[in-house]
This record gives sequence, C-alpha cells and structure tokens, in this order.
Amino acid sequence: MNRHLQEQIEAASGYIDDLPQESGEWLLGQRQAAVQRFADMGYPHAKMEAWKYTSIDNLLKRNFNTGHLPPEFPRHAVVRQFNQEPVAGRLVFVDGVYQSDLSSCEAKGISLGSIRTAMVSGDRAVLAAVGSLSGLGEHAFAALNLATLHDGGVIRVDEGVEVAQPIELLHVTTRGAEGSALRSRHLVLLGEDASANLIERYITLDSKVACFNNLVCEVSLAKGASLTHQRVQLESSQTYHLSELHLSLAKQANYHGIQASLGAAWSRTTIHNRFADSEASCELDGLYLAGDGQLTDIHLDVDHAVPHCDSRENFKGILHGAGKAVFDGLIQVQQHAQKSNAHLHNANLMLSRRAEIDTKPQLVILADDVQCSHGTTVGQLDPEALFYLRSRGLDESRARDLLCLGFASEVIERFTSESLRASLTEVIQHKIGL
Amino acid sequence: MLSIKNLTANVDGKEILNGIDLEVKAGEVHAIMGPNGSGKSTLAHILSGRNGYQVTGGEVRYKGQDLLALEIEERAQQGLFLAMQYPVELPGVNNMTFLREALNSIRRARGEEEIDTVSFMKQVRVKAKAVKLDEKLLMRAVNSGFSGGEKKRNEILQMAVLEPYLAILDETDSGLDIDALRTVADGVNLMRSPERSLIVVTHYQRLLDYIEPDYVHVLAGGRIIRSGGKELALELEARGYGWLLEEVAA
Repeated sequence: MNRHLQEQIEAASGYIDDLPQESGEWLLGQRQAAVQRFADMGYPHAKMEAWKYTSIDNLLKRNFNTGHLPPEFPRHAVVRQFNQEPVAGRLVFVDGVYQSDLSSCEAKGISLGSIRTAMVSGDRAVLAAVGSLSGLGEHAFAALNLATLHDGGVIRVDEGVEVAQPIELLHVTTRGAEGSALRSRHLVLLGEDASANLIERYITLDSKVACFNNLVCEVSLAKGASLTHQRVQLESSQTYHLSELHLSLAKQANYHGIQASLGAAWSRTTIHNRFADSEASCELDGLYLAGDGQLTDIHLDVDHAVPHCDSRENFKGILHGAGKAVFDGLIQVQQHAQKSNAHLHNANLMLSRRAEIDTKPQLVILADDVQCSHGTTVGQLDPEALFYLRSRGLDESRARDLLCLGFASEVIERFTSESLRASLTEVIQHKIGL
Repeated sequence: MLSIKNLTANVDGKEILNGIDLEVKAGEVHAIMGPNGSGKSTLAHILSGRNGYQVTGGEVRYKGQDLLALEIEERAQQGLFLAMQYPVELPGVNNMTFLREALNSIRRARGEEEIDTVSFMKQVRVKAKAVKLDEKLLMRAVNSGFSGGEKKRNEILQMAVLEPYLAILDETDSGLDIDALRTVADGVNLMRSPERSLIVVTHYQRLLDYIEPDYVHVLAGGRIIRSGGKELALELEARGYGWLLEEVAA
C-alpha cells in the first residue's frame, strides 16, 4: 500500500475520531465502513477504463488536507455572487461550511438546511438518506467523501408543493480553502408531485486558490415529482473539482439537469441515474469548456432498468488551447425495459490543434422494443460560416466568438435563469476570446 | 466605383478567369450573364474575398483602392456586399443579433457610433416587411431551417440593413418561384440610388425583367465576350447562348 493512501486512511480515521460529540452517532458506522471501502479499493488508476484518460497524479501530488480553517471572508463579496433573480430560498456554503446568516428560506412547503444540523439534531429522515443512492462510494474519492464529509445542503420539498422561484445552492471557496480537500454532500428530496427548480453553483472568490472540491449530491424524486437542476462549475484555474450526482426517479418523475463545467484545472462530473419505476424521464444537457492547463471529464451512467422511461442526454464541449476533455456516456437498456426511449449525443468543437477530446458514447441495449440513438461529432469551426460572417463586416475573432456561442447556445438556452444565461455567455466569450 | 482590368484567376491550378475588364460607375446596374461554368460566380467570390482562388494577374480597384489587398471584412466595412447563391446556416446565432453585430462592425470601422438596440430593431422590422420575411425568422438562428426563398429574402434584408455602396447578387434568382422572385427584386429596387451600384449575376434573363440593368455582359470561358444594353439579355433569352459563342469563336 502506498504511503499516500496510508496517510489518507489515517487522516480519515483521525477525522472520525475527532468528530465533536454533537455530530451525533448517526453516520459513524457509515463513515467507518467508507474508510474501509477506501482502503480496500485504493486510488483509481489509468488501467481502469473509467479513469483511462483522467490522470489523478497531480491531484495526489497536491496532497490536499482533510482539515481546514474556518473561513474568513468579506460578506459582501459572497452576497455579490447571489443569483440576480428572486429565489424561493438560498443555501450558502463558504469553504464547505454552512452560512446560516447568508442562507434563507421564504417559501412554504420547502425546508432548507444543512447535513451538519441534521447530524446534531439526529434528523432521521435526512440521515437515512445520506448514502442511500451513492452507497459507500464507487471509487476512492466518493468513499472518502462519505468517510469525512463535513457538511452540505439539505433541500426538501413537501408533497404536492410547486415552488415557482428557484432555490439557490451556492458554494463559494475563498483563500481559506487553500490546500484543503472540501468534502460536501448535498441531499435533494422531493415529495410526491412536488416540483422545484434548483440552481447549484460552485465559484471561487480568489482566482489563485488551490483546493480540492470533492462533492456528492443525491437527488430523490418521489412519484410524479419534477426537478429542474441548473448546475454551474466556475472555480479557479487551480481547483480540482470532483462531483458525483446520483439520481433516483420514482414513477412519472421528471428530472431535467442542465450543467456548465467551465472552470477548475481538473474537473470530473459523474451522473448516475437509475430509473426506480416506469414512466419517468431524465433529460441531461451539458456544456464543458477546457483550455490551457484544463481537463474536464464527464461521465454518464443512465440505467433503464424498468420499462417506459425516457432519457435524453446532450453534451457539448468547446476545447481550446491545450485543453483536454473526456466524455464517457453510458446508457444501458435492460432486458425488461421495453418501450424505453434513449437518445445520447455528444458534440465537440475543437478550436486548436493542441486540444484533445476522448469521447466514448455507449448504448447497451438488451431489450428489443425500444427507440434509442447515439452520436458523436468532433469538428472545427465551419470555414464557410466564418467567411459568411466576415463578408458581413465582422472581424475574424468576433466571427469566431459568435460561432462558438452559437454552438454553446443549444445548451445555454436550456438554463431557465436569464441572468445565468447572460453570465455564462459572458464567461464563455471571455474564456475563448482570441 | 469598381474598375476591373485584365483580371485572371485560377482554381486549383485551372484557369477560370481569363482577362476580365469591367467598369461600374456609381448608380449603375450591371448584369453579368453566361452559361454554367463560365466563371460568373468565381468573379463574384473573388470580389468578396473568398478563399480558394488564386488571382494570377490584373487588378481590381474599388473606390480608388486595391480591392484585392483588403481582408474580407474590410471590403464589407467599406461598403461591398455579396448576396450569396447558397447562404450559409449559422446554428445558434440569432438572426437579429447577427444583423446588429454586422451593422455595428461596419459603423465602428467607419468611426460611427453603434446603433441603439431599440431603433435598430424597429428599422429591421420595417425592412423585413419590405422583403416579406416573416418576423419570426428574425428571432431564429441565421438561415437555420429556412426555406430556399427565405434564405434569399434574408440576404436582401441584410443588404437593406447594411446599405452597401456596391452590391453583388450572385444567382439570387436561383431556386425562387415567380412570387418570391418579384419580392426579392422589389427589395433590390428599393435600394437603387445614384450612389449605389449593383452587379447582378444570373444565368437567366427573367430576373432582369424585374431588376432592369443599364448594361448586360456575357461571360464565357472566363472572359466577357459581349457587352450591351438590356436588349442583349432579351436576345439571349430568345436565342440561348449558343449563337453568341459561335459568333465569338468565328
């Protein structure tokens, strides 16, 4: 066993031993089991298919610490990051620590809180849900997340409640997170026929800060529930970001996830969806951007285990400079999952010769009465389109910007928040600006 | 406005233009006709700055400058416009945004202020109406999923918004039914003025029933083999190109 692994096991065990009394007993068993799972699995490596193109060497070299200082930050700097449109409620975390004074909840029928609060009060409903979808973790980092999870958001929407305005989950890192591994875990639980719109964002206040944001998010939709989930990762160019999203959809539940992975030095997002019952639908739209020094990795694991469910996955990537991206989309349709619809698409726009994309869309179909499709494209800007724009007076760089934004717009337009669409457009323009 | 002298050009080493001479003065409308493969579109493309052509000789002066030395966008900024035979689809690029970006690029290049959004949109709506382009298409992606006729109307709308000094219409009539042809021609005629010149490239005479030219030139084998007034177009319509080619060869 290598030294790094041993150190991490000791650190994780130490973290659990030192948990304050008020953390309660609830998660102790799971935490210890997760440490054991971590020790058994060890770190992923390039010989594993899912990690073949995603090196963790630099991440391990950075040796991010489990513990970190309580955050100190100017309050207004965080407030400035709030969503510009009105929200039904807001959960704010700074360096992984829940900020109750910045958080709020106005609407009836929803409750917003933190995992830590649930641990202290022994909230059984919440604690029982922790790990219910993720298990102990499919890989070392997910196991470490459970073993040493610090805090995270808890969002519950009661049966039949339709929340019109979005709920905001804002995760901000500051200089205080330098050198730290932040392990957050969010829970989203929607009751029967509830509907909500969640905006989940990861941003860094200090562009120089280097940390490891290791997070797990578990979303359970009860029968007929519906969630629009807008996710944005816009962390500093030194950050490592690992996000595991687990979805469970009951009968007739609808999930629409729209995500933009734009920042971080190294980011990996995995979305697991298991259809728990029939007539549910899962739509996933994603945009990723990678430039010099960036690796962006997207993994999808959508399992049609029951009949009459629909899934649609559309991911678009823009690679510039020496940017590198990995797309690995796996859709499985099991033998009994008749009448499934599954459509997977991945398109990549390469703006430079040095950019790299490793894309692998996979559709595994064991049922015979299904409608499924998948496709991938890797291409460059259309010279005819560039000529057309220039012949109308636009200079080459502006023409390129417009075409890139046009490519991204299919995903951007799926974001329901207007201010988010505007700011994403601005960020993309800034990042690919020639 | 435009002066072309002994222009020769190759595509992939094959000579396509074989010594073109053409003078276009302000306010004039010139029609360039000719059989397929005669070099009509090549000439239009070279004037617009499109890649893929090697100019091997001659010169082109536009408003006193060496046109061929200008970048594609510089030509547009100085008032040259090419209405394309096959307008390109730009997925995800909003038509209204595109028009505004284009107009503002041209205004900036001329040291003028950018136009404000409200008056711009008003102006575009009026002009879209004139070419009978459905207002909904202004909010869609440029040419994406447009019918052939809608694409051509969109070209004429761009021309109306950008108000060029020299507009080249490359086979704008191709693929249009008679009603669409008339609408497009009406749109072009609205643009006619003593300061603006037009070069209408077409295979058929019928467009010239609606856009009346001052001069008609016949291009064949990369050269202008005959020039005349609008009656030349009518003669070509009645007799085809064959007799003229034979006459020139004789």
